[in-house]
Amino acid sequence: MHHQFRTAQGPVEVTVAKQGDVWHLGGHQASVERDGRLRIQLASGASGFATVAKVGDVWWVHFQGHTFCLERIEPGASQSEDEGGLTAPMPGKVLDVLVEVGQSVEAGQTLMVLEAMKMEHRILASASGQVTGIHFTVGQQVQQGSILLEMAEDED
Amino acid sequence: MVSKVLVANRGEIACRILRACKEAGLASVAIYAANDAKSLFVELADQAILLEGDSIAETYLNQRQILEIAATTGADALHPGFGFLSERADFARAVSQAGFQWIGPSPNAIEKMGDKMTARITMRQAGVPVIPGEEIETEDEDEALIAIEQASTRVGYPLLLKASSGGGGKGMRVVERPEDLLEAVRSARREALAAFGDGRIYLERLLTGSKHVEIQVLADRHGRTIHLGERECSVQRRHQKVFEEAPCATMTEDIRSAMGKAAVAAAMAVNYEGAGTVEFLLAPSGEFFFLEMNTRIQVEHPVTELITGVDLVREQLRIAAGEPMSCGELHLRGHAIEVRLYAEDATNNFLPAIGSLAVFQPPEGPGIRLDTGVRQGDEVTPDYDPMLAKLIVWAPSRDEALQRMRRALDEFVVLGTVTNIRFLRELCDVRDVIEGTTDTTMIDRLWPDGWSPSLPIEFEDGALMGAAVAESAGLHRQSVSHPGSGEQSGPVSPFMTLKRRYP
Repeated sequence: MHHQFRTAQGPVEVTVAKQGDVWHLGGHQASVERDGRLRIQLASGASGFATVAKVGDVWWVHFQGHTFCLERIEPGASQSEDEGGLTAPMPGKVLDVLVEVGQSVEAGQTLMVLEAMKMEHRILASASGQVTGIHFTVGQQVQQGSILLEMAEDED
Repeated sequence: MVSKVLVANRGEIACRILRACKEAGLASVAIYAANDAKSLFVELADQAILLEGDSIAETYLNQRQILEIAATTGADALHPGFGFLSERADFARAVSQAGFQWIGPSPNAIEKMGDKMTARITMRQAGVPVIPGEEIETEDEDEALIAIEQASTRVGYPLLLKASSGGGGKGMRVVERPEDLLEAVRSARREALAAFGDGRIYLERLLTGSKHVEIQVLADRHGRTIHLGERECSVQRRHQKVFEEAPCATMTEDIRSAMGKAAVAAAMAVNYEGAGTVEFLLAPSGEFFFLEMNTRIQVEHPVTELITGVDLVREQLRIAAGEPMSCGELHLRGHAIEVRLYAEDATNNFLPAIGSLAVFQPPEGPGIRLDTGVRQGDEVTPDYDPMLAKLIVWAPSRDEALQRMRRALDEFVVLGTVTNIRFLRELCDVRDVIEGTTDTTMIDRLWPDGWSPSLPIEFEDGALMGAAVAESAGLHRQSVSHPGSGEQSGPVSPFMTLKRRYP
């Protein structure tokens, strides 16, 4: 069966085939255990149990002491790339807005200060450029991933 | 007399205290905000009362409401845990004045130690060495800026700004260069004002290459003040501890004895009662300096419990009831390590994470202790501190404790929320950790551009295969809580439909 997952390195296509009770992927093999875990034998000979759970579209996999987060891409879903926006790294509250629309900023300059988990977090300009939009004011709550500001980066 | 304890806290430490109450045969009351209604600590209490209000200020920090609940539930003592109201002298005073036993030191001791500037002055007077620095008493921002700028030239760079009411890294800033000073002061003041309602900041010289070593003390009303050895908590990120151990790997009998004496002197200088911790910076030269005294039980208290055999929370309850502490002569035994599991992204500057605990499977086996306030199925929300659990191991030697910790972290499975488990696991392989030569700047020094896991590519293949097989096999449909779902609906007892026949 064919699946696509989004990983930190980009989308990956995986095709697994089943023969009897054993699944194959290249030289790797896997079988489903009675408790819902997977027994995985890698082509190199290393083997171990994987614990899996699906939350929303994301498969969480614990294998060999590492935890992986693999978002399943539904067949036919469009791939949108975020661009230009400076997004909230987590839910929180806007403490301070240090720039105005139209203002030129340097790379690394603090644009906004958020408070989350009782800590301050600075939103920094990733490159020099001009602020083209500010979407929140002091005191407002933001959700994780909210676009806080927009910037047009200088062309070098 | 103490017979019914109200625990004015939540999460992991509330669980720890509520369990101690149960073991001691004391009745217990939990208080909880609406968003904690399903939390573990609410279950562990004999009685749990909902706090009205939404914000932390309206709930866990609401002194008036908490005292009313103490009165209506008939509690006769109050345990504040750590954080929240635990180091608020005005609250300790209000609790005592309302006729309840405060489980902790006197309001006067909290005041003297809680205000970090007053503590420095008190310690200097008691002959305990303090870090070179200057106190700035003014509350006015403009005056403070001028005074701090002047003091900074005397203290020298790099320096550390600290909030006088601070703790947990809040209101603390490292300043490397004079040109960064003013912005750092403003930001530290703002954070301190928001967190503690007090913007006063003082300066200390930044002592790099030092270890954070703290001494646990216990004092009762029968004239006994003792120390229970040290904990080393040098491994910190964002000035918060993540890896703690007892004893300190490089401790000598002479330094332990000198530090223990200084800690006992510090406690006695404020007529301390109950459990407390005196924190020091230990320089490579063996010189040590008073940092601060925490007038409460600490997050990392279990490592001391494991090597001394003393139940510190039980001793707190005993001492508050006016009894003498129960521990006799102490012998340190073996080695204990604690790591703090956080819902945070170690690969992204340790940013707090949220999510569900779809799977929460702690390790088991010999020498392992888990102190947590969560269980599988819980949600991790941005409302509170992102610490999920403390994993503590004990073994006869430091090497064996590290080996046990590696094994335990490899077994620990948390799915649904990003955690620092892998980071903690790889910490156990860092040379400084193995050799015991950790200092407070280790994490920043080792990973100046951020940490990322060392991950063999084939493990990633294995994980991708796991996800693909799980999806193909429809494992996500099996993970719902009723295995027989679909066959029954409505409140039908399964026993009614069992067709069991006995011969």
